[in-house]
Amino acid sequence: MPNMEFQLGLALPTPNIIMGFDLNNHGLDHLKDIGGFSGKSKRSFEQAFGKFKQECKTKTLLLWSGQPNEEEDQKDQKKTTFSTIDENDAEEVDQVVGWPPIKTWRKKMFQQQHRVCRIENNRVAGKDNGRSIYVKVKMEGVAITRKVDLRLYHSYQTLTNSLITVFAKDKKCADDDYTRYILTYQDKEGDWLIAGDIPWQNFIRSVQRLKIVRNWS
Amino acid sequence: MQKKMAYSFPDEVLEHVFSFIQSVKDRNAVSTVCKSWYEIERWCRRKVFIGNCYAVSPRMVINRFPEVRSIELKGKPHFADFNLVPDGWGGYVLPWIVEMAGAYPWLEEIRLKRMVVTDESLELIAKSFKNFKVLVLFSCEGFSTDGLAAIASGCKSLRELDLRESEVDDLSGHWLTHFPETCTSLVSLNISCLGSDEVSFSALERLVGRCPNLRSLRLNRAVTLDKIANILRSAPQLVDFGTGNYAAELRPDVLSNLVGAFSSCKELKSLSGFWDVVPAYLPALYSVCSRLTSLNLSYATIQSPEIIKLVSHCPSLQHLLVLDYIEDSGLEALASSCKDLQELRVFPSDPFGAELNVSLTEQGLVAVSLGCPKLQSVLYFCRRMTNAALVTIAQNCPNFTRFRLCIIEPKTADYLTLEPLDVGFGAIVEHCKDLKRLSLSGLLTDRVFEYIGTYAKKLEMLSVAFAGDSDLGLHHVLSGCESLRKLEIRDCPFGDKALLANAAKLETMRSLWMSSCTVSFGACKLLGQKMPRLNVEVIDEADPPDSRPESCPVDKLYVYRSVSGPRFDMPPFVWTMDEERKILH
Repeated sequence: MPNMEFQLGLALPTPNIIMGFDLNNHGLDHLKDIGGFSGKSKRSFEQAFGKFKQECKTKTLLLWSGQPNEEEDQKDQKKTTFSTIDENDAEEVDQVVGWPPIKTWRKKMFQQQHRVCRIENNRVAGKDNGRSIYVKVKMEGVAITRKVDLRLYHSYQTLTNSLITVFAKDKKCADDDYTRYILTYQDKEGDWLIAGDIPWQNFIRSVQRLKIVRNWS
Repeated sequence: MQKKMAYSFPDEVLEHVFSFIQSVKDRNAVSTVCKSWYEIERWCRRKVFIGNCYAVSPRMVINRFPEVRSIELKGKPHFADFNLVPDGWGGYVLPWIVEMAGAYPWLEEIRLKRMVVTDESLELIAKSFKNFKVLVLFSCEGFSTDGLAAIASGCKSLRELDLRESEVDDLSGHWLTHFPETCTSLVSLNISCLGSDEVSFSALERLVGRCPNLRSLRLNRAVTLDKIANILRSAPQLVDFGTGNYAAELRPDVLSNLVGAFSSCKELKSLSGFWDVVPAYLPALYSVCSRLTSLNLSYATIQSPEIIKLVSHCPSLQHLLVLDYIEDSGLEALASSCKDLQELRVFPSDPFGAELNVSLTEQGLVAVSLGCPKLQSVLYFCRRMTNAALVTIAQNCPNFTRFRLCIIEPKTADYLTLEPLDVGFGAIVEHCKDLKRLSLSGLLTDRVFEYIGTYAKKLEMLSVAFAGDSDLGLHHVLSGCESLRKLEIRDCPFGDKALLANAAKLETMRSLWMSSCTVSFGACKLLGQKMPRLNVEVIDEADPPDSRPESCPVDKLYVYRSVSGPRFDMPPFVWTMDEERKILH
């Protein structure tokens, strides 16, 4: 080969050779078919693909909002574990490894900042009236009712993050992997409403109890 | 045949001509013209770039280029940034340092990215290279402040020490005191990645004070706001400054001191840092803002109104990194204030939250694409997108070179039409003819890959996640993207057929990463066997791949071209498929 001594220059195969080099039949025979992807070979390739559908083996994402979930591959169960967030803990909640694609040091920063936020909100709450707001939280399918102090949170998503953590410990993961849930609450007038419509501050002033229900729609 | 023509140039003349050719690509081209040019070029090559440290061995590099002064090496695959590459995979720089210590006593510059650097390596650098000037450790790990101390004390003419985004073990905060009083040569110092206690501030102040050529200084979070003013006053020539913590109780004297300090820096063009920002201190920056070309607010948890106020003072802004607190309204303000904007990166403030916490949507990006004609590079995290928005963006910005969109929830469809986002991304590749880098997200079928294969002829790097329906998708990319160098794929239904059909293509690329796809172990073995110039690495932390049937998919696959054969520093969970049907370990 003419480029042997140019050890750092990997010679580019010509486009023709690339096109014809198909290892699907252990390849080298097809070097005869050099000529690029003419209409003929393209058709045969598509023929091979026509009925070839592969199952999408993506991870389950346990979601609170209404996105469809995929079949979970049993082998990959370990990848969709919950890490618990303790209020004081440094663990991250990774629903899927490496997604969204954010560098590790940035993720750590977000967690620190959210914790600071929570701590600050506690301090602020302390200045306001100092009293916790404990409400009962019931989850459909779980026998035990919990109680949470709404003063610890400053937004719907920090509340739902924590509820995921709390209830993940209580129910078996394997059961309800593809079920979607909605957070609902009972207001001062006794009506049951979907959480999230009104600003957070108004919400914590009117909520009496919380219920996490399955969303069948 | 070497025929000396009467009119051929003497070697020295050619060498002189070649000295004007600095770019690595051009140098490589020059070296392939003929044997004598190859010879001359290799003797006068001063700078080497190795995009994959396993593509070639140190000895091969040294044999070919005996007079190198500057080397750049990259180690782990890009997905290592997101924890997809297990610890211990590789990317060790020590073997390179050991070989270069003997062969390149006059080495001046080492730039590393995603490599494992040990204190031993750093000590060896400090000891071996008498004229060492530049050390850049980008996203590296494995070393401590002890190693930094060795660099500080050993490298007498150090100009650049840049630790950007690296992970450093904090053993002692006093490594900075190891810079001798005679060290006055620093031009650039970036310690922004260091943890809380790793900086002796008085040593830092003295160091900054005695380096009149210091142009770039990025502090770490431990440096408090009250210290900034003194630092700036002792280095008014700074062009690039990264603050530490930007929070303190508002005190008028501190504020006015800061205002004065910033206004004394007439050359300042780039700002970063801003951890824990107290908005009341932002006006201190206003004197700098009119000249500012680069602003990194991606650690700053300030809300949209404050961001808008700041950004509207920066008409010359070219690069902005910011959190999604900027919201659509902030991006609209950006679009009307910053007409020179070239690069925008919007990071998510609450990526794991189940709900929207900020009002940042596709509209913000559309606004910027409309208002900023020079926009070339985008990294955008958001929660919803439409094909229509993408088409508009593509039409507004045909000059995109980098477009990376991350819709946080995988497989999110166009929220208005509920269709896949194939057409939108198709418009991006069709209109942006110079697109070099693309990251996809959202609901995508094989169709988007057909568009990419058809139009993205200049595309060099493609990142794909949770996309596609079948091998046809992968085939479109591998057979259509002529300039493709790096392809990284996760969680896509791509398997053996496309990979094997395009095996030769892989030799024209730097690397291919596929994880959680459906490539079988048998196909990996075949690829490794038939393609001797490819290293086919199977990564599986659970079980050895041959403990299961050959048709079972492998967990992670990393394929890269190499002229030095399989590596031998692999951990137990990495196997290389060898041409002699051996599975090396």
